[in-house]
Amino acid sequence: MNFNQPVIPYNKAEFIETDTGNKVSRRATISGPQNIILGGKTIISSGAIIRGDLRRTGPGHAVVISLGRYCVVGEGCVIRPPYKLYRAGFSYFPMKIENHVHIGAGSVVEAATIGNHVQIGKNCIIGKFVIIKDCARIADNTVLPANTIVPALSLFAGVPGRFVEDLPETTQELVEMQTKQYYQRFQPVESE
Amino acid sequence: MPSVHYYCPCLSTSPVPPPPDLESSSYSFHELHTLYFCTEPECMAIRCNRCVSVEVNGYYCPNCLFEVPSASVRAEKNRYGACARNCFQCPSCRNTLVIVASDPPEGSLSASVAAVGITGEPPYFLYCNFCRWDSTEVGITFEKATGLAGQLQKTEETAPDVVEFERLKEHFEPFLRAAPSGGIAHAHSNPITSAASSALSRDISIPGLSKYSALLAGRRGGRNDREKAGTTSKDKEELAEFRSRWETGAGASVAEGEVDWIKHLEDVGEVATIEQRWVGSWTTSMRERDLKPLRIPLHSKKTKRCPQCRHIIIKPEQKSQSVRYKMKLTASNFVPAIAISVPPPVASTKAVDPNAPVTFHAGRTYPFRLAFTNPMYEPTTVTLQVQRAPLLKGRPPFAVSLPSPPFAIAAYAEAWEYEDEDEDMADEDIDALLAGVGSPSGYTQPREVAKPKKPKTVGVLERKANTTVIGGELVIGKEGRGDAKFNLLVTHTYQAEDTAAQEGETEEKSTKTPTSRQAEVKTFSFYIVIDLGVIIPREKEESHRRDSEQMSIS
Repeated sequence: MNFNQPVIPYNKAEFIETDTGNKVSRRATISGPQNIILGGKTIISSGAIIRGDLRRTGPGHAVVISLGRYCVVGEGCVIRPPYKLYRAGFSYFPMKIENHVHIGAGSVVEAATIGNHVQIGKNCIIGKFVIIKDCARIADNTVLPANTIVPALSLFAGVPGRFVEDLPETTQELVEMQTKQYYQRFQPVESE
Repeated sequence: MPSVHYYCPCLSTSPVPPPPDLESSSYSFHELHTLYFCTEPECMAIRCNRCVSVEVNGYYCPNCLFEVPSASVRAEKNRYGACARNCFQCPSCRNTLVIVASDPPEGSLSASVAAVGITGEPPYFLYCNFCRWDSTEVGITFEKATGLAGQLQKTEETAPDVVEFERLKEHFEPFLRAAPSGGIAHAHSNPITSAASSALSRDISIPGLSKYSALLAGRRGGRNDREKAGTTSKDKEELAEFRSRWETGAGASVAEGEVDWIKHLEDVGEVATIEQRWVGSWTTSMRERDLKPLRIPLHSKKTKRCPQCRHIIIKPEQKSQSVRYKMKLTASNFVPAIAISVPPPVASTKAVDPNAPVTFHAGRTYPFRLAFTNPMYEPTTVTLQVQRAPLLKGRPPFAVSLPSPPFAIAAYAEAWEYEDEDEDMADEDIDALLAGVGSPSGYTQPREVAKPKKPKTVGVLERKANTTVIGGELVIGKEGRGDAKFNLLVTHTYQAEDTAAQEGETEEKSTKTPTSRQAEVKTFSFYIVIDLGVIIPREKEESHRRDSEQMSIS
């Protein structure tokens, strides 16, 4: 199973593993953790910033960012909920990321929703209120301006990001396998 | 990275792929996950995206994701196959435009723009929040913030290209109506494909133009067409000559006017780039500030059929954003997945860039491993046969040893059936990986069965669940150079679940079947190309040889 790909080792001391198998780096900045949901078996890499504190104004508990299962937030990523000026004034809006979503290192994400089995490359900028549908892929170094909509099973690339091609019909199975394997390969090593 | 690609024979007439050192070979090989598989008994073959026939299953706008009925795509109002709602593209950067109101009652303009507020006052205009282009630059404003396409349609209707298209349509209408729905025989075709194919078949003898190219049309199957068409052939000839209302040279006069402008040009950014202009079917202004907002072309969901038997291979669900399929016959469900790894030399303990090409030195022997994963619920037996490349000159640059007897791969089972076992395995696997797997040894007789104490290089190395790993060896000649790349014929034989759909498929598969009970046994052969890496021609040969000798001793 782990035939081709070697283990991705991490320093055991650096990561906190939750009951549901989430692995969160101590070097990641998690603001407002009470407003963040991790679905389980999700990895938050070191240097990532997740802004759960940017919540909609008003009393009570609010989910700001929810990530599904088998997601990876790459090193140095910024996950920040989108905001806009509303009739009443300024407000943040929640962000939902579904299962099997990988976000490459150095990307900044302010999307509204990201569907299942989405792959986002390295150093991307995903603008405010972007909607990415299931099984889509964003190539490395893509900039998606605010309000962009990425249809299911499509590859977007460029600055500004544009449709490049349809992805193969097997994308769902492929991404599911890759994300599961990634989680399995992501193994602790004792620090020396 | 070493790679494995699968052969689709659609580009050639022979089932044997071209030798891998030919440039053209790469066009015939594909990644497994992009391939399809026709399961019809008379086909039983790998199909690729290039050879399947494609039909439109449904249209949708990639921006508003609204499904557009085929009827309205064909209807007059939607002649561009573009979204007829509120979706527009920026003519300058192709980003999606948003509709914004002008002069909001409170706050600055920039604030309203950031807020994408539709709370302001008319007139509304289109705005690009990537490059800040807005439609007031070209004098396009809207009374309402909805139904933009409809509002814009009035101005579009007078555009020369639209008028010309209308006239062309009028001109050809009688001919289209008279013509049979398809020149080419298409057993299964919907109106769209038949319209497309009849359009294709027509362009060899364009009506009205035939007087100029009668000879050509006659030669290129035109007669056949005429026989089929019968009376319509007369109509074809009688079609009046089309005269454009616009002078074909009209573009030239526009260009003349622009010469002056270009002479006084100070900033090259004022000239629209070719990329910005070539979407237009008509000569347009060269000025960047004259660019008009573009309609967003529709996307489609596609049904794919086998090119031979016309059976459906891919049928998506109707809903535009669903990623499910009513029918999905992909090769990865029928053909073993083959992964390759070339263990790094023992010496290098530091992290190797996984994307760096693997290199081999001439005159040495390298082990490699192939993992076969069976996707089927039946166990299968695999036989490998290296395709001998036709020798052009001299000795072959390298030789490959692989186990010649058939080996078995266990059946695929649902994940839960061996999940526990899997996790145990994973741990072992990880330990092995951390320890540095597959230490290359200096075996010289690859086909010999290894002594029990030493790890063998060639043969079945391990079996785990539905995966069997076999070892092979690459022996590079002293004069070796180029890519270590070879074609491999993989034959897999399995007990078919249903015995009804048996007949037919064994005839064309000439390859060996281990058992004679052909009624229950299915055999399928396919070619793959394995790219191991690059051979470094001999340099510092002496030191290398010494190294390898040391290794074989140890």
